[in-house]
Amino acid sequence: MKKNTFYLIIGCIAILLVGLFWYSDVIRQPLLIEVAFIVAVAVIYLIRRQVTDLIEDERDVKITEQAVLRTMQIFWVVFCAFSIGAVMQLLRPPPIPRGFKLEPPAILPELLSPRLIGFVQLGLLCLMIFLYVGFRIYYAGKYGGWETDEE
Amino acid sequence: MRNKIKVFRAMHDLTQENLALLIGVNRQTILAIEKGKYVPSLDLAFRIARHFGVPIEEVFIYEEEPAEQGK
Repeated sequence: MKKNTFYLIIGCIAILLVGLFWYSDVIRQPLLIEVAFIVAVAVIYLIRRQVTDLIEDERDVKITEQAVLRTMQIFWVVFCAFSIGAVMQLLRPPPIPRGFKLEPPAILPELLSPRLIGFVQLGLLCLMIFLYVGFRIYYAGKYGGWETDEE
Repeated sequence: MRNKIKVFRAMHDLTQENLALLIGVNRQTILAIEKGKYVPSLDLAFRIARHFGVPIEEVFIYEEEPAEQGK
């Protein structure tokens, strides 16, 4: 299989996933898109192995490694910070005993509804993709990028 | 790390694309090595040298980084 065919298939799968996301929302069945997403990723990995003109050499591996490392260094901090806050809000920690000197506010302000938490987490995941692409472009440039010098 | 890949390519009448195909890497990798932007692994360096039929030190020349001033 040619590289361009592979990219075309990825595009089709992405469109299909958007459609399934919409449909699973219509029928109120989140499991559908969850399973479809896992299956789609597995299918992409399987198809990728059939591509004949896609050479992944040690420079590509290094670029990928560096991009993943830097993305994760930023992403896990942001994601954990947000998730800890979100879990605190969902769990509603018990009130502090009366004898305690520092009186906390009677009602903890709700910054995000549980519904919004999911959206923000999804947004953070999208941010991770942008971060990864950005780092890939940076490291590809650092390790000799897209120069066209020949001879 | 300096290298003479370009010279050896010229001697063997090879383009970057041809050499890349023979070694099993992308053309960009050969270009990056030639320009000194990417230092290849020992395995790849040996493969390139072996392809030209010369010892590795004839293709790749190790140069120590100049010490920073003021240290």
